[in-house]
Amino acid sequence: MKHSENLVQLFDRLNELKYLFHYGQKIIPIIQSLIDFMKDTVPMLENINSSISDSASKIPKAQNQIHDVTSATEMATIEIMDIVDVISNDISKIEDEISTLIAKEERKKEIFTKLRIMFGGNAEAVALLEELDKETAIFNQLSQILATVQKTKSDAYNITIALQVQDITTQQLAAVNHLITSVQQRLSNLVLEIDETDIDVKDRKKIVIPDEETFNAEAKYDKDDSRQKLADQLLNKTSQDEIDKLFS
Amino acid sequence: MDLKFLVVDDSVTMRRIVSNSLKNLGFENFVEAGDGKEALTILTSDSSINFVITDWNMPVMTGLELIKAIRSDAALSKLPVLMVTTRGVKDDIIEALNAKVNNYIVKPFTPQVLKEKIEQCLASA
Repeated sequence: MKHSENLVQLFDRLNELKYLFHYGQKIIPIIQSLIDFMKDTVPMLENINSSISDSASKIPKAQNQIHDVTSATEMATIEIMDIVDVISNDISKIEDEISTLIAKEERKKEIFTKLRIMFGGNAEAVALLEELDKETAIFNQLSQILATVQKTKSDAYNITIALQVQDITTQQLAAVNHLITSVQQRLSNLVLEIDETDIDVKDRKKIVIPDEETFNAEAKYDKDDSRQKLADQLLNKTSQDEIDKLFS
Repeated sequence: MDLKFLVVDDSVTMRRIVSNSLKNLGFENFVEAGDGKEALTILTSDSSINFVITDWNMPVMTGLELIKAIRSDAALSKLPVLMVTTRGVKDDIIEALNAKVNNYIVKPFTPQVLKEKIEQCLASA
């Protein structure tokens, strides 16, 4: 009796084994395709890893280039300002000279007026005086030249004012630098997670994210005065209590 | 009243533009600083400075921190401070007002605006 029970159990186990083999036959191709997939995926992951690594290593160069652009534009701006200062100083000297000449012209007019009175009885002398006055009169021309010179001086000053664009673009570039530094840090972390051996950890430590306090990412060269008007409104119409309320 | 300005900005270009504008307005007496900390050092050693024009975004110490430091120092608290910055959104302006800035200019500024704001600061001082 016991012998037949054992046989039943044996057949049960054999059946289970048979099902297992059947299942195995079904699952083996799946495992095989999984292995094949893994074989295909590993080089792909290595490629991704290498691409990320490569991209991350190029970022410092991009940062240096941005820094170089900032330095170059600052230097160029200073040079422009130096030249504008020289031009402005020269114009100021010309302005002074013209003003002196205008003063002399005014004095000449006064003398001519006095001479006309003195030579009142001598028609020929008065006629010659009028002719001399007409021939030597340069007051109007001097006034026009002075106006042109003053306008040129004002234009030169406006060039200086327009150079505020350099500070604003520097802040925009600093914001871009901040952004790419953040990207580099994330890429480096990603590479480290994939394979620590593929990136020099020392390099990662060198990544310094620029301090956001040193630039305004929203900086823009905009001649629209709406932002100034907003500041004026807040300054003029808001009491301290209201400011406190808005701030809290 | 003889005015002596302290122009605070980390940008050499902006310091020069503001200084040139002051000269153009007839103010010849000014000194410059590259950040808030340097400005505070100058302010504590030169009591003849009676007007501060400062940027906001600067390394080491920002313009906002400088204003707070000025307002919390008994010897400097009454100094007129004019902020000249690229920050033009409402929250920033309110933050500056809350720090007790006297007036506020959004870059890029015009010489006329600078003149007006200096006059307003002096009138309210």
